[in-house]
Amino acid sequence: MTASENKKTKQTGPRGIRQTMSDLHIWAGLLVGWVLYAMFITGTVSYFKEEISQWMRPELAHQRVVPDAAEVAPRVARELQQLAPDSPQWSMRMPDERNNVVSTFWRAPSTENGRRVFGSAVFDPATGLKVDGRETNGGEFFYRFHFQFHYMPVLWARWLASFCAMFMLVAIVSGVITHKKIFVDFFTFRWGKGQRSWLDAHNVLSVLGLPFHAMITYTGLVTLMMMTMPWGNSAVINTPSDRQALQAQMSSFLPAPKPSGEKLELAPLTGMVQQAQARWGTHNIGNITVNLAGDAHAQVTITPSEAGRVSHSPQYMLFNGVTGELREVKDHVGGAAETRGVMFALHLGRFADTTLRWLYFLVSLAGTAMVGTGLVMWTVKRRSKLPNPQKPYFGFWLVERLNIAAIAGLSIAMAGMLWANRLLPLALDKRAEWEIHSFFIIWGVTLLWAMLRPAKRAWVELLWAACAALALLPLLNVLTTDRPLWHSVLSDDWSFAGLELSLWALAALHALLAVRTLRHQPKSKPQPRFRAVVTPNTEDTQKAAP
Amino acid sequence: MNHLAVSLLSLLAFTLLVLSMDRHQQDLLGHELPASQSRILRRGGWLALLASLVMAVAAKGWSFGLVSWCGHLSLSAGVVVLATIAWERRKAVK
Repeated sequence: MTASENKKTKQTGPRGIRQTMSDLHIWAGLLVGWVLYAMFITGTVSYFKEEISQWMRPELAHQRVVPDAAEVAPRVARELQQLAPDSPQWSMRMPDERNNVVSTFWRAPSTENGRRVFGSAVFDPATGLKVDGRETNGGEFFYRFHFQFHYMPVLWARWLASFCAMFMLVAIVSGVITHKKIFVDFFTFRWGKGQRSWLDAHNVLSVLGLPFHAMITYTGLVTLMMMTMPWGNSAVINTPSDRQALQAQMSSFLPAPKPSGEKLELAPLTGMVQQAQARWGTHNIGNITVNLAGDAHAQVTITPSEAGRVSHSPQYMLFNGVTGELREVKDHVGGAAETRGVMFALHLGRFADTTLRWLYFLVSLAGTAMVGTGLVMWTVKRRSKLPNPQKPYFGFWLVERLNIAAIAGLSIAMAGMLWANRLLPLALDKRAEWEIHSFFIIWGVTLLWAMLRPAKRAWVELLWAACAALALLPLLNVLTTDRPLWHSVLSDDWSFAGLELSLWALAALHALLAVRTLRHQPKSKPQPRFRAVVTPNTEDTQKAAP
Repeated sequence: MNHLAVSLLSLLAFTLLVLSMDRHQQDLLGHELPASQSRILRRGGWLALLASLVMAVAAKGWSFGLVSWCGHLSLSAGVVVLATIAWERRKAVK
């Protein structure tokens, strides 16, 4: 990190690889750091998106027993056929241990401006009816935001996310090269040493989670590789049948066959689901997709759930939708497709059991802190050299203020969306969208706050605000629902209780940061630089910045 | 149960490894250990790491085992770093 200073003090010889890599690391990291921070933290909480969704739908009772997909599927299918008649394709995701709803989507029979139109709805597995409760997107918002943001065309957004992820990969590789003493400094954290402590914290957070950080960044790029690197495919895949074969290697969503025009009723789904259960296990049913329900060419695809299998490659059973007879079983794909499937699954972490999911969450949180400490370090390192810290130059001012809003402000905005979930009137038009608008409005306000207040006060105030917003959420839940924390604990409802206890843990973390920031005395005067010169060990001068 | 065993073994491994390093011996124990003892600690640490890997893979297979092993490594190493910080802070306050 401080290698560039080393360069200035030595002034001899050509720039070494470490100096070059250090500069690359600093600027690649800074340029997209704020976006990466937001991607990291929303991705982190997405490991618990099912639990967040449950919390955001308090009207749906805690699911004690996972319902039998063979009973749920026909119930919801009946509703879907009325809700989306003539749809060429509809799909429903069965409930599981962490998910108490049936999420569905369907393709509208007509297109708009040549584009496919999709609808979606969430159903109660017990009744088969649409969920009777507040309109919300649940934790799905954080998940979507993680790779396609909001208020912008999905394709552009995914390009932006890929671009930032590529910078992240550059930052990881250049960071490892810059940080020459990985093993010697493996456990090193020097307390209360200003910039050096920041550097140690950044190093420890990066190195200890390095397997995860490298994996998550690389596999993140892989999830969008068909968009960013289409040339390999477009060179070889030219005919419709090629395209279909490729699709079958990558996805269990099969293209709809041509409708026959002859009306024939969809066969009962129960029998097909039971066959799938016999193959994969009673509670191991994932998606059920129906093409051309009501047509003579109808087909039904059933996939296993993603739990317990470290691959995302397609597996399915394909049934004739009219006779209910099994047409095809797909349980493996080619080597390349399987490699992609494994990387995809590693990124999503949906195969994880509870312990492993927590490990994913914690190490990913460390990754968020890694990006955060990196951003803050940019200012810590430069503040000591400001001629007048009260009036920094514009670039410094901008980075500092963006840091405050991107780090402290985002925590408030994320908690704020959960507040909006409880407080927005149930009858509000487009309520689900307003929950998301609230997130961005609150985030915008924190940015304004960060720009108008003195920097240190803005940090402390916003960190305390985040602490309060997080800590009071369980209380708000007591006041606005009939599912208080003590009740959740006593009734073994760990999606609710676990989430609320985690909110408290995060609130404590923010309080700790606020107290530390308040006590912190920045070294504002220009420090003497002699230390780097008199230290004989050149390796030490790397980190001997004032 | 398997998670707990992998976690404890990797925790043990990193504790041995941190104790095998001169700098941390100075900080944690107040003096450096003889080279022979450091070597034993280091070998023990690597052995415990290997054992935790074997345990994770044996119980859950390569795919699941490797992933959870990596997670446990990061967590245990983090716990050891936090513990050394706490230890040194306590010493500093005294």
